[in-house]
Amino acid sequence: MNKVITSLLSLGVACSAALAANGAISAVKVSDKLDGISAESPLWAKAKYTTVTLYPQTAVHMNDKKANEANAADKAKNAQVAALYNGKTLAINVKWADGTKDVQGAYSSDTYSDGFALQFAGATKKSGPLPYIGMGSDGRPVVVHLQKATASVYEPNGNKDVSTQINRNQTNLFGKDLADYDAKVASLAKTDYERSFVGEGFRSLTEIKDGSSASAAAMVYSSNGWSGTVSRPLKDAYVNSTGTVPVAIAVWDGSKMGRNGLKNLSSWVAVNLEGMKPDAKIVGEIAEEAKGDAAKGKEALAANGCAGCHQVTAADAPSFMAPSLQNVGGYSTVAYLRESILKPSAVVVPGYNRNAHSNTPWYTIEKGKRVSTMTDYSFLDKNTVNDIVAYLKTLKAEVE
Amino acid sequence: MSKRQLAMVMDLNKCIGCQTCTVACKTQWTNRNGREYMYWNNVETYPGTGYPKHWMELGGGFDAAGDLQPGVIPNLEADYGVPWDYNYESLMGGMADSNTFHPHVSPTWGPNWDEDQGAGAFPQDNYFFYLPRICNHCTNPGCLSACPRDAIFKREEDGVVLVDLDRCQGYRYCIAGCPYKKIYFNPKISKSEKCILCFPRIEQGLPPACAQQCVGRIRFVGFLDDEDSQVYKLVHKYKVAIGLRSDYGTQPNVYYIPPTESPAKFDAEGKIIEGSTRLPIEELEKLFGPEVHDSIATLKAEMKKRKETGESELLDLLIAYQHSDMFRLDNNYYQQVAKENKRNPLAPVDTRYIAGKFTHAGGHH
Repeated sequence: MNKVITSLLSLGVACSAALAANGAISAVKVSDKLDGISAESPLWAKAKYTTVTLYPQTAVHMNDKKANEANAADKAKNAQVAALYNGKTLAINVKWADGTKDVQGAYSSDTYSDGFALQFAGATKKSGPLPYIGMGSDGRPVVVHLQKATASVYEPNGNKDVSTQINRNQTNLFGKDLADYDAKVASLAKTDYERSFVGEGFRSLTEIKDGSSASAAAMVYSSNGWSGTVSRPLKDAYVNSTGTVPVAIAVWDGSKMGRNGLKNLSSWVAVNLEGMKPDAKIVGEIAEEAKGDAAKGKEALAANGCAGCHQVTAADAPSFMAPSLQNVGGYSTVAYLRESILKPSAVVVPGYNRNAHSNTPWYTIEKGKRVSTMTDYSFLDKNTVNDIVAYLKTLKAEVE
Repeated sequence: MSKRQLAMVMDLNKCIGCQTCTVACKTQWTNRNGREYMYWNNVETYPGTGYPKHWMELGGGFDAAGDLQPGVIPNLEADYGVPWDYNYESLMGGMADSNTFHPHVSPTWGPNWDEDQGAGAFPQDNYFFYLPRICNHCTNPGCLSACPRDAIFKREEDGVVLVDLDRCQGYRYCIAGCPYKKIYFNPKISKSEKCILCFPRIEQGLPPACAQQCVGRIRFVGFLDDEDSQVYKLVHKYKVAIGLRSDYGTQPNVYYIPPTESPAKFDAEGKIIEGSTRLPIEELEKLFGPEVHDSIATLKAEMKKRKETGESELLDLLIAYQHSDMFRLDNNYYQQVAKENKRNPLAPVDTRYIAGKFTHAGGHH
């Protein structure tokens, strides 16, 4: 397969159309300004939309009882994704169905907002496959641009403004002065919940606050669905794009108490910049299909006792013993699955706070490095590994 | 586990449910900006629904195997209660509705909705006591364990559990994970917030506001490893102060002296049933575990000893002749920590309560 792709690549632009069948996105080149482009921009009429499937994140189960019940029968959902680029900026539009518009900012303790995020692979000198889909992995950073649906919210902490934090009834102001105070508080209200993060693995995500990420995101609701856009530079301190930009997409459904890990996410998707030479390594890695026999793989999985720790079905080991594999076929690349079997410590999903399940840690820390507690299966022969990977690729929820 | 642990002991025999602690905390920390509904310190009537409603049934904490248990995030209106306000301004301004004094929302629930109701039938066997609650600054915090962003930490120097508001993204798993439901979501800033044990006061040698304002003098504050501290004596020496619901597995660091005496019941004719007690020991066992028997036995033995001999260190402690007898904070300790960590060691503003092992005679004032 790799060879086939490499030879296809030599055909240049023609190949991106062929690859579209494998789920790659063709970014159409435009000469217009793309920074801060809205979902309603007429420029999107020029774009080519590709269907990307987003699978429920089930590797880690969180501890919110009601949310877990609400998401127990989650299915995968399809999003329509398109990209535009000019010399400097890449803009991506994601459209997905959502029957309810859930907006952040209500005076409420247990409601959540819809949202979406785009994850880009960060520049790294480390060789090897793409970063782990769950917010990167050690030495393989990602940049995540998050947008939540918001109403007007006064967020004094965001402005580092403490003088207006006082309850209006506790100021010594009256009449016009009090009205002025109210107006000042209202003028400080933030209407956006847009964040950019860098991460090297689940739990390591850190917000970029120094202005070094010049991204812009927005989302618009209409006719039972959201349309979200992100524009960002093709090259900046975090991302160094070539002709192919690997992107992963996540969406949150507030009506199902979605936030953090309670989301639907895609595997890595290749965004090929039309007119530029695609990056053969990235395209090949994302498009690689499993070569083994899934039926044999299922037997091999049972023979090697994988379900002793991993959930292949919900009836297997408790979810906190090891990452659940129930949707691993949906959001993982073949390269990642193969690597995880042969070198379990190459990417250790940090998973839970180690304190949450202290008797069954997923990893130990040796010399500052996470070492997986999973058995090293590098003794398996190549065909068995291929079979297991082929079976793992079948583990995913149906599309709703 | 932190290097040292600051702890609080609350003597339930002395709590009169006046809510001065609640107000001290609220005016200091939670009367604004999305915290209006929060009570970092609350005093609830036990038995009762508690705050938030039925918090003991909302999950969180750990099972016997040490695995974090799923929990439920309470609803603001139904479980915490919306803080309502009245139409003062229209009344004062002579506006249209000024002839009626009414709340801005119709209140359906709030903290202490069932205050003083208790259980049992009046006058035969009714009973209740007050249960003041703050964050337990647990040794094994459920909130910390639940956080998928490592946004909650336990301070090495005194075990105070704090939210890193910079890392917090408002996911609220901490609320599900805390079995005491003592961490709250601030919807205005979309972050979780909780009792900070008044660390800015503690570091300056002042007890937390709830403890200093307590008119019943029920709260002791000190370091658990400081053998001269009141909390050490009550928790470790006499073992009369016990953690609340330690079966949740979080190793709470707020300890309670259980209600020791309760009046006898009346029979149908209104006569005292000799030897009976209104407060069922099962209720105390549920809250404090089997250790409650030893605690009550020790307290009763010391009371007897005091009656007979006039002497009891334990009762002298519990009487708390001077308010300053209840706090033993460690002045130079925090300054030493600040120095070691290259922070700014500020002088304490009040030296009445500081007499810890790091506090040098004469101080530096």
